[in-house]
Amino acid sequence: MSDYLLEIKDVSKFFHGLVAIDDLSMKVKKGQIYGIIGPNGAGKTTLFNCITGLYTPEKGEIIWEGKKINGIAPYKIAELGILRTFQTIRLFSEMSVAENIMSGRHIKSNQKWYNGIIHTPSMKKDEKKNWLKVGELMDFFELSKYATTPAGDLSYGLQRRIEMARALAAEPKLLILDEPAAGLNENETIKLAQTIRKVRDQGVTILMIEHDMDMVMSLCEYITVINFGAKISEGEPSFVQDDPVVIEAYIGSDEDE
Amino acid sequence: MRQSYKIAIVFLIVMGFFPLFSNSSWLAVGTTFLIYSVVAFSQDIILGRAGAFQMGHALFFGLGAYATAILNVHFGVPIIYTFIPAILIPLIMAIVLAGPIIHLKGDYLLVATIGFNIIFIQVIQNDVFGLTGGPNGIFGIDVVRIFGVEFMSQTAIYYMSFILLTLTLLIMRNLDASKYGRAMFYINKDDIAAQSMGINVRYYKLYAFALGSAIAGAAGSMFAIQYSAVSPEAFNVVQSIMFFTIVLVGGSASLPGVLIGTFVMFVLPEIFREFATARYLVFGLAMILTMILRPRGIWPVKFGNIPNYLKKDTK
Ligand SMILES: Nc1ncnc2c1ncn2[C@@H]1O[C@H](COP(=O)(O)OP(=O)(O)OP(=O)(O)O)[C@@H](O)[C@H]1O
Ligand SMILES: [Mg+2]
Repeated sequence: MSDYLLEIKDVSKFFHGLVAIDDLSMKVKKGQIYGIIGPNGAGKTTLFNCITGLYTPEKGEIIWEGKKINGIAPYKIAELGILRTFQTIRLFSEMSVAENIMSGRHIKSNQKWYNGIIHTPSMKKDEKKNWLKVGELMDFFELSKYATTPAGDLSYGLQRRIEMARALAAEPKLLILDEPAAGLNENETIKLAQTIRKVRDQGVTILMIEHDMDMVMSLCEYITVINFGAKISEGEPSFVQDDPVVIEAYIGSDEDE
Repeated sequence: MRQSYKIAIVFLIVMGFFPLFSNSSWLAVGTTFLIYSVVAFSQDIILGRAGAFQMGHALFFGLGAYATAILNVHFGVPIIYTFIPAILIPLIMAIVLAGPIIHLKGDYLLVATIGFNIIFIQVIQNDVFGLTGGPNGIFGIDVVRIFGVEFMSQTAIYYMSFILLTLTLLIMRNLDASKYGRAMFYINKDDIAAQSMGINVRYYKLYAFALGSAIAGAAGSMFAIQYSAVSPEAFNVVQSIMFFTIVLVGGSASLPGVLIGTFVMFVLPEIFREFATARYLVFGLAMILTMILRPRGIWPVKFGNIPNYLKKDTK
């Protein structure tokens, strides 16, 4: 098997005949913190939606641990160990923080169909094990004091943390983050970067979209730049940063990030 | 313990002693209330928990009732044994019927389920295979006999219904604290997020339909015993709308809410019988006002059903 965890090969995705991803290829190594940048509307989120099965690309292959996964249902992608957060936060907002994170334990729980009706000792053990894991994650993300608070009642920064905790609860191999720093203040962003590093050090590969250039350049080990759905540059942060094509794309799109 | 469980226990104690203080006509009203509560909870599993707009639930209630009636009256099967097919037939039919339409969203699913209900009524009104008795239904359903003992008094039927509701509440409690029950909530609140967490939306929605329909079937069997007869109008779309409304007016996924909803929709009309049709005017208005003033129901569900050892730091 290759040492790439995830390979995107010549993937294209169209909406109503308009190209959103244009023949894109990239490779993510195990243990990497991999960044994707690009102007608004470049197709970054669309790419994530293709990887996580929400969209099926019209062309190309998405290879996970050597096997083609495009066209597979999103829930099966999650079962493979690819978990994500959303650019526009998608929490179960009326439900408590703990219950939100517990959803990440779904694929790790081995309860049977009849356990919805009758509880058995082994089911209770499973239930307890999973709640304890939720407890650990709440500790790690400093969310414990909000355990019973509805997620929707909390601040933006806290909600982003809950989303990440929820994805990590599933013990993913690849964690996909769509603009995790959006809406965070400077302190929160610094903390986020530390958290992402810690998570990676625990063995989770990270693939992230981010507009905060300081964060991307300091955190990511490898970066792909997308514009109008196509890759325009890739490499280590130091290279990408000074690549004239990249600078051109950002100036051209009137972005000052 | 959760507040709603305490309320459920108090409710069961009150209902347990109710026969001691009531005459036979009130006992009949009480029995109907218990049976309809079971149906309302079964609708709540599908609508309130899994969030599937099922507006044909009377069909499954009816399947249970007709299963008991047909097997007993036409085939002489003792009532007690008809319970099992009265649960299994709606369960299987739920999977067969809901399977192909389970992916439909909100209003589309609602229309499709109404369609099933209408077809069901047509079928039983046309006396298929000479079994369903046409518009008049089926009369002369036997009483429950266990080891030769007859349970035919209204009190006996009341307590059988009481046991059925108690079992249903136990199932609701177990469901709440399980992977399956939570998965339904996740799907309901945000199905994209749920899928992305590895939840097979179709499977858990079908599970909700199957479980809800099985319980409705058990209630239908009890209904047939209570009236010793079944007829189509007890299972038509208007009844389905009532079950749907009970859940929304009372409070989706809320134990006290569903009980209040059932009480308001089925028992209050009995209490205010003398006001004849005027009472329906009041109920219509009450439904409208509830939706405007309390869109999440009279007694909305409270989430945060987590083990105590996780609450250590909560403010
Ligand atoms: N479901 C959809 N239907 C139609 N068009 C879509 C859909 N999703 C995305 N698009 C279009 O595809 C293009 C890429 O969108 P995408 O959300 O992937 O951009 P992005 O790089 O994530 O941008 P941003 O930085 O603003 O989040 C845009 O032109 C967008 O309008
Ligand atoms: Mg985006």
